[in-house]
Amino acid sequence: MILLVVSVCTPKESPIMYGMEKCHYCQMAIVDQKFGSEMVTLKGKVYKFDATECLINYVRTNNIDWQDLSMILTNTLDKPGELITVEHCYFLQSENMPSPMGMFINPISKKHLALEYQSKQNGNIYSWDEVKDVVKEGY
Amino acid sequence: MIKIKEILFSLFLCILTVNSIQADTLFVNTGHIKSIKEAISRAKSYDVILVSKGIYKENNIVINKPIKLIGQDLPILDGEKKYEIITITSDSVEVNGFQIQHVGKSYTMDWAGIKVDEKDHVVISNNKLYDTFFGIYLKKTKHCKVWNNSLETTSVDEVNSGNGIHLWDCENISIVGNHIVGHRDGIYFEFVEESEVRDNISENNLRYGLHFMFSNNDIYDGNIFKNNGTGVAVMFSKNIIMTNNIFLENWGSASFGLLFKEIYDGILYRNVFQENTVGLYADGANRIEVKENEFIKNGWAINILGNSQDNTISRNNFLSNTFDVATNTKTNPNLFEGNYWDQYTGYDLDKNGIGDVPFRPIKVFSYVIGKIPESIILLRSLFIEMLNFAEKVAPVLTPETLFDESPNMTRIEYD
Repeated sequence: MILLVVSVCTPKESPIMYGMEKCHYCQMAIVDQKFGSEMVTLKGKVYKFDATECLINYVRTNNIDWQDLSMILTNTLDKPGELITVEHCYFLQSENMPSPMGMFINPISKKHLALEYQSKQNGNIYSWDEVKDVVKEGY
Repeated sequence: MIKIKEILFSLFLCILTVNSIQADTLFVNTGHIKSIKEAISRAKSYDVILVSKGIYKENNIVINKPIKLIGQDLPILDGEKKYEIITITSDSVEVNGFQIQHVGKSYTMDWAGIKVDEKDHVVISNNKLYDTFFGIYLKKTKHCKVWNNSLETTSVDEVNSGNGIHLWDCENISIVGNHIVGHRDGIYFEFVEESEVRDNISENNLRYGLHFMFSNNDIYDGNIFKNNGTGVAVMFSKNIIMTNNIFLENWGSASFGLLFKEIYDGILYRNVFQENTVGLYADGANRIEVKENEFIKNGWAINILGNSQDNTISRNNFLSNTFDVATNTKTNPNLFEGNYWDQYTGYDLDKNGIGDVPFRPIKVFSYVIGKIPESIILLRSLFIEMLNFAEKVAPVLTPETLFDESPNMTRIEYD
């Protein structure tokens, strides 16, 4: 019984149902498997977004403390449909690579791939902590 | 004598230049040129390439000089589900009269039936696109025409489908008379300025019939949006003019005829919203003039959230909607005036055509549904009728200031 309660409360990720679920911030259906993202609170509540831009804006506009989130995950260009911890990702912002919310932020899971994209498309590579400041408020 | 020589020389020069400007016509498949690629490589600038009927499987055709590529009797360009079909990398290209089919799918490349890559003054007309991932894709282009094309795919989910006509970072584009069926978004605008969308039909698209993102100063007029996930979504945009469109049969739990999200200063004039779950859904819409539209047989005619301010809703007809207006706040920062509401039960003693008592279009039950969607099952029950009546007499939950002070007694006729 206790085990059951514990397992219910343990925060865990939940797969995004592409095309069926809507972004918690901007209302658009989450369709692009390269850009979806989600966060899980300490209590285990899951919020899903169509892009990391929306996640950052949602956290900011609702004054959520980053410390209150147990997991932040994103899809990446190189592994579409897979959710990867944002701290392990690289974020390439390049004017030649559109993203769903118009801020040109493309998550990539491997550093050498990020550099490869950058050599072709220019732009800057940011870590998760840096990209939080790159995203302007409210689009 | 020297003079004559000079004249002759300049004449010769003239003839030379005229000759080089004059466009030649190259024929594909009827003469000795067998492929479109060969014709393009032989062509000079401003030549015309005529392609006769047949099936051409030439994988990716790149048009890199200003030419006209014209199909006669709808020749078929087939991408064999492996390639992008036409890529335009030159200014002043025209592509007219082809059936373009079976584009390959690539999630990183966004392959299209016809893509214009950072070039201007391109005309794409009278083509038939079938089973393309993205149909017509304009990237960083200006002054283009996309006229009278038909685009159809049979995609089943939003994930594995592209947009019909996709514009990214464009200016002065004209999209007229196209018919778009079965894509993710029928027409998609991102960073598009000063452009027009006229007389198109966009239907059975999985997400939106027409979708604006970060696009300003555009107009859409005279289009029909039928049975899409949502008819039109205008998001994060300014100064969009929306006139004479028809929003039809956008049914579903999250479906709207028209969705506003964070937009400013638009005009919504003379449109018809018929049989949508929600006709107009406004989330952060500001300074929009909603005038002389007809809302017919919708679940909700208008759902306007509290973050929408300074909008004017005037001279519209509200006919046979389950709910005329819904909102989620107790204040009303918008103006409702001079509309015709068929649910109005007031009187007009001075016979001036305007009701003597204000009309409150919000029913308390729409609040209850907002909180508990399942309660819809109680609609039309006696209990709900009583609840609505009690609220009408003494508003508690509904915004006290949301009313139409001058409701029309009869349906407004527009000329």
